Amino acid sequence: MYLVSPPILLLLVALVGGSWSAWRARAQGAAPAVRQRAQLLALLGAVSAAAGALVLLAPLNFCPFELDGDGNANRLNVMLGVFILLGGAFLAHRVVSSLVGRWLRGEALPGATETRTGLFSGPGSTLLALLCLAPTLTILTLFLYYPMFDTFQLSTQLARLGAPRTRFVCMRNFNQLLGDPDYGRTVLISFFLAAFIVMFSLAFSLLIAQMAYRPITGGRFYRALLVWPYALSPVIAGIIFELLFHNTAGVLNHVLDSTFGFKVPWLLDPTIAPWTVVVASTWNILGFCILFYIAGLQNVPNDLLEAAAIDGASAIQRFFRITFPLLSPITFFLVVTTTTYAFFDTYGLIDFLTAGGPVESTTTMMYEVFEVGVVARNLGSAAARSLLLFGIVIGVTILQFRFSRGRVMYGS
Amino acid sequence: MRKTFLVLTLLLLAGLTLLTPVQAQGCSADAPCEIDALIGFTDHRLDWAVERAVEFGEMFPQYVVNIESFSDYEPLLDSYILSQEQGNPPEIMQLFEVGTQFAIDSGYFKPASDIIAGRDEVLGQPVDFDDIIPVVSSYYTIGGDWSSVAWNTSTPILYANLNILGEAGIMDLPMTWQAVEAACEQLQPMVDAGSIAGCIVWPNHGWFYEQWLAQQNTELVNNGNGREGRPTQVLLSSEASLNIVQWHKDMYEKGYYAYSGKQRDWSGAVQAFNSQQLPFIMTSSASAGGIMRNAAENGVEVGTSNMVYDEEVGWTGNILGGATMWITDGLEPEIEEGAMAFLLFFSNTENSASWHQTSGYVPVRNSSVALLEEQGWYEENPNFLTASIQLGESQVTIATQGAIFGTFVETRNIITQAIEDAMLTGGDVAEIMAAAEEEANVLLEEYNLLYVDE
Repeated sequence: MYLVSPPILLLLVALVGGSWSAWRARAQGAAPAVRQRAQLLALLGAVSAAAGALVLLAPLNFCPFELDGDGNANRLNVMLGVFILLGGAFLAHRVVSSLVGRWLRGEALPGATETRTGLFSGPGSTLLALLCLAPTLTILTLFLYYPMFDTFQLSTQLARLGAPRTRFVCMRNFNQLLGDPDYGRTVLISFFLAAFIVMFSLAFSLLIAQMAYRPITGGRFYRALLVWPYALSPVIAGIIFELLFHNTAGVLNHVLDSTFGFKVPWLLDPTIAPWTVVVASTWNILGFCILFYIAGLQNVPNDLLEAAAIDGASAIQRFFRITFPLLSPITFFLVVTTTTYAFFDTYGLIDFLTAGGPVESTTTMMYEVFEVGVVARNLGSAAARSLLLFGIVIGVTILQFRFSRGRVMYGS
Repeated sequence: MRKTFLVLTLLLLAGLTLLTPVQAQGCSADAPCEIDALIGFTDHRLDWAVERAVEFGEMFPQYVVNIESFSDYEPLLDSYILSQEQGNPPEIMQLFEVGTQFAIDSGYFKPASDIIAGRDEVLGQPVDFDDIIPVVSSYYTIGGDWSSVAWNTSTPILYANLNILGEAGIMDLPMTWQAVEAACEQLQPMVDAGSIAGCIVWPNHGWFYEQWLAQQNTELVNNGNGREGRPTQVLLSSEASLNIVQWHKDMYEKGYYAYSGKQRDWSGAVQAFNSQQLPFIMTSSASAGGIMRNAAENGVEVGTSNMVYDEEVGWTGNILGGATMWITDGLEPEIEEGAMAFLLFFSNTENSASWHQTSGYVPVRNSSVALLEEQGWYEENPNFLTASIQLGESQVTIATQGAIFGTFVETRNIITQAIEDAMLTGGDVAEIMAAAEEEANVLLEEYNLLYVDE
């Protein structure tokens, strides 16, 4: 039994898709060619929206809308179902209406304008092109697309590594996460750590690069040393910092205790431990950022800086008005890469430094994916967690690109 | 879909390995059969195992035993499961005690009793499982049959830095929770003066909780601790359970328990003890080798005694810890014989004794204990006897036999987390354990959904 039967759901979606297309076609500013074919557009909009929703929900057998044995619907399930329904409808609708719109307006299809006649022309060219692409496509399919498809499938199942069977559980894995306040905390911690790791690593690396790129005696030597922490894997960084910060056997507390007579519970206090992780991760990624900033600084034209200096701009003004804006592509690149590092690559460091503790105060989403999927062998829940993490990081990256528009300048 | 993927990958691999020669049938000195054995050690214990494998190869030139090492039991098990899924499992694996139910459920292994099939010897290696000490046989035999071959067995014991205790005027090693608290109170001035960092440490790991539960003769799961039938409930809200967590909390709040803030921090705890920051550590008897070597190098006198228990409840016994060796099902008969012979050699009287001397793990054979006594080993190294005494004096009850259930590994982690929460958040012990119990029961229910035939 369904809360709303699937055909009615699809009809509703089709109705919304169709009316949206019709409204867009009649809207002011629409091309005349489009306006004349409003009915066709409405029909296509309705079909594409319904098809998009169907493609995602049919493999699930519309289970989010199913009623349980007592005839009750699970509110979270229904919400997730509506999200999937609208998501699928939106994507399909958007692709179809944009393609049809271009066709009606007489514009070339995306990519068509970029086609050039060249090497891959003449008979058999498609075959040759496909042959050349085959190795890449094979590897991508085996190691990227198939695992991704498998992850989607796993996320709707109760599955354990080594278990003789799996069970379809619909949205339960997601449901458990969304209803769990601990998971919300994990998300917050991940964002907190990522924000400070990105901020600190960029700020410090720019400061250090600004000092290190100058032609000083032994500059090459210093610069090589500065990049060195990045050569260590996060695991090694975690071990080094554990030896430094350990509460009873650590070097740092020993020094503090013998010189100042106090100790800091670096890894024991849930409010301090996240900062310890931030410091260790920042140290680990710093070399990478410095490397790029030094390269960037060497490309800042000296004549610009000299001209500004002659005009009476102070060093700080020169930095903020000339150097920093010219470095913006590198800054943006580093923001994206260090964000990825903070979300995905800190796992090893956290495992060796704090093991996610104390009181789960350093358990990030990625760390939890590993804990649940590998340590606890609960593949279904881990798949659901990794999909949520994937979605969140994609979202953050899209936001970063949106925000950077008009703020990042690439060359002339 | 998974099949297609596997076929594709295999085709790819087949293409790559096309040029390697095909192995000849039958095992001979010219073309020895390979027996891969996975073990979870990377230190001197690995060296010991490799030496035994070489010796076995000299005795039986038709076999080559390759020891492959892993950093821990968990990654070892994961690797084994994956190799099973890929259809190319190793012949032998070391599996920790809590994986027993999983191993039986998985159907990956052939019970040792089935391979031996009532024989007294395999390729000249005597079987004699009656020689195995009772606490080990009661844990690893199910329905009277051996599913695996016993190897490393340990139990937590208390180690004390007698130099520090001497300074504080403590003459007797504590045997109970109450005595530990009294000793810690006496040591507090030294902590305040900064000459030591705290009183006692043990890794925050569910194993210790399980031990204390057994000491109080209380079961961890229903259905006779999982030995009378498949368990359906994890019992974390028992009086004994709350008692243990409350004691952790009290010890932490009084500043006696020097928690590092990191769960399962085995190496950190030993390091704190070895660097003479703390006078007491409770940890596996398998650390005896390392701790005694370090003590000798630094001129520290170390004493050991049983794992402390709650005087108000009394002591029933302790559970063993450690691992046994399992043989993969479906091997060629000749290779299976070789694998069994190797394990029997690996755990014979002399090797069990030498293994104990190297590591501190309990000798699993009565004959090994007799041999060590004969050699005067225990007189020279009394600290190596503590674990054997503790296990030997344990009463065998359902609780001290240890629980068997499929989600033991995960439940252990839930317990460890709950204890940490109780200590660091100051929350109510009963509430924390009730929540942990619920979480553990969901996992068990899910496990049973996937493994139990309806």
